[in-house]
Amino acid sequence: MPPRAEFLTKVVLFQDLETEALATLAPLLIAKKFTAGTVIFHEMDDSDALYIIEQGTVVVSKHVSGDVDMVLTRFAFCDFFGEMGLFDNAPRSATAHVETDALLWRLDRGVFHYIFSHHPEMAAKISYRLVTIFIERLRVTNEQTRDAIRWGLEATGYVSGNQSLFGRKST
Amino acid sequence: MAEPAKIQLLTRKAGQAGFQIHEIDSDQAFLGFRPRRVAKEVWEITAQPRSPDGRRNFILRNLQRDRYLLIDTQESFLWELFDGSIPLDEIARSCRQKFGAFDYAMVRQLLAKLYQAGLLIERENFALQQSLARRHGTYWEMGLNSAAKYWRRISFTVPNADRLCGGIYRYGGFVLFNPLMLGLTIVLAILAGIAALRLSPQAMQFTQLLAAIPWRSGAIMLAALLAVSMMHVTVHALACKAYSRRVRGIGFFLLQGVLPTFYADVTDIFMSTRRARVVVDLAGPLVELFLGSVAFLVAYQAQPGVGQAFLFGLGVLLWEGALINLYPFNFLELDGYNIVADLLAMPTLRQQALTLAPQLPRRLIHPRGLSKAEWIQIAYLLLCLISVLIYLIAHLDFVRGLLPSWK
Repeated sequence: MPPRAEFLTKVVLFQDLETEALATLAPLLIAKKFTAGTVIFHEMDDSDALYIIEQGTVVVSKHVSGDVDMVLTRFAFCDFFGEMGLFDNAPRSATAHVETDALLWRLDRGVFHYIFSHHPEMAAKISYRLVTIFIERLRVTNEQTRDAIRWGLEATGYVSGNQSLFGRKST
Repeated sequence: MAEPAKIQLLTRKAGQAGFQIHEIDSDQAFLGFRPRRVAKEVWEITAQPRSPDGRRNFILRNLQRDRYLLIDTQESFLWELFDGSIPLDEIARSCRQKFGAFDYAMVRQLLAKLYQAGLLIERENFALQQSLARRHGTYWEMGLNSAAKYWRRISFTVPNADRLCGGIYRYGGFVLFNPLMLGLTIVLAILAGIAALRLSPQAMQFTQLLAAIPWRSGAIMLAALLAVSMMHVTVHALACKAYSRRVRGIGFFLLQGVLPTFYADVTDIFMSTRRARVVVDLAGPLVELFLGSVAFLVAYQAQPGVGQAFLFGLGVLLWEGALINLYPFNFLELDGYNIVADLLAMPTLRQQALTLAPQLPRRLIHPRGLSKAEWIQIAYLLLCLISVLIYLIAHLDFVRGLLPSWK
C-alpha cells in the first residue's frame, strides 16, 4: 500500500510537489518496518536509497574508535536520511540505528533516476529541496567542526583561553 | 595507525594586514594530545586547609613567572597526570575511575588556566581571538569598551616592591611584628577609647571649627588619610615579609574596577600557613587602630582649637576606616572578608557566592541538594545584602535629618 498523500505533503523534500505529482510518486516508495535496536544500514555498506520516516525515531552515528560511535543526528516523523545514496556510489558514511519501532518509506536510487528521466519537473523540485537541506546540514556540520577545533586549540594551547589567575591584593 | 589528518588554520595577527596559514595534525587538536607540564624546578604546589564541606584546594605557583592558580582536588589529580606521556582520552578514563565522572569542559578550562600561568609547555599563540575580537560590536560598544579599558588602566605599581619591603623589614620593620607591639596597640586603643568618650561632648564644637575652614581642613584630612592608607598596605606587605614570602607588588588600582585603592599583592602568603594569612590580613587595619588611637590621645592632651578638632576628626575617620576594613560583609574583598575567607578555607567565597546567586531561586526549591559550602555562600550573600541595606537606610535617615536645614 502506498503512503498517504497527507503524510507526503508534510515531508519537506516533497513540499513543492502538487497533488498529481505526489500521486505519481507514492506508488514508487517501498514500505519498510524496523524494530527498535536494529540497524538500517552500516557505515561502509553499499549506498542505494533514501529513507523517509513515518513512525519512530532513527539515530545516525559515525564510528570513532574501538567500540565508540559518535552520534551525528537523530531523525523523527517526516524526516529523511541516507540522501547521499541517491547521488553517488560511495559506501554509506554513517550507520543508521532504529531507536524506537519505525515505519520507513524507501526511495531507491533506480527509482530516483526513473523520475529524472520521465518526470524532470518533479525531479527538479525534489532536487531543489535536497540542495537546500544539504546546505542546512552542512552549516550544522561546520558549526560542530568549529566547536570541536576550538576545544582542541584551547586545550592544546594554540589559542589562549580567557581564564583569570589567582591572586590576593590586600587593601 | 594512519597518519593524522592535517587541519589548516587561518589566522590574522593584531595590527597586521593579510593572514597566515598554519597546518597542525588533527590529533594535536583532539584527544590524542598529551599535555606536558613545565620542569619540576619551575613550579610548587601547596595544599590549603580543608573547607567546611571537606574539600581541599591547592595553590599552584609558577616560580619563574610568579603566577598563581587555585585548583581543586580533581584539578590537582589532573595536574599530576600532565607529564607529557598520557593522552587526554586516557586521562579522562583515569579521572572517571577515581572520581566517578569526568567533564571535558573542565579539563579544557584547567588547561587554559595552566597555559595562562605558563605551567604547561607552550605552543605558538596565534593571537587569533584578540584580532577577531576587535571586529565585534557597534561603535557605541567599542567606545564604551575602550573607555572601560582606559578606566581600568588607572593604576600604578612600585618597582621592585619585594626588595623595597625586604629592606624596610630588615631595617626596623620587624619591630612591628613583635607581640609587644600588639599589646601596646591594644592598651593604646583602650586609653584612646576613654579619651574619645571624654572628648565626645565637644564633637559638635570640633565640627564647627573644621567647617569654618572647609578647604584647608578637607585637604589636610585627605592628605592624612592617603598617607595612612599607604602605611596600611605597606604593613600588609611587611607582614608578608615577616613570613619570608614574596611581595608581588605594591601600588594603586581600582578595587572591583570601581573604588580607587592602594594595594599590596600578597598572593605568595598562600604558600604559607592559614595563621600567616590571618596575620597579614589583620596587620593593615591595626595601623588605623594604632594611629587613630594616637590621634585621640594627642587630641585629649592638646589645647582647645583647630588642631585638637583636626586630631579628633582624624581619630574618628581612622577608627571608622579600621571598622569598615574589618567588616567582612559588604561585597568587597577588604581585610575582614579575607580573614573570613581564610578561616573558612574558601579563598574565592565572594566569587562563588556571586556565581551561585542567579541560580538560588531554582536551587532553593530543593534545599537538601545544597552543600555545606553553598549554605555558607548563601549566608555570606544574605549578610552582605542586609549590611548594605542597613547602611543605605542609615544614610537615608542622615540625609532626611539634613533636609530641614536645606529649606
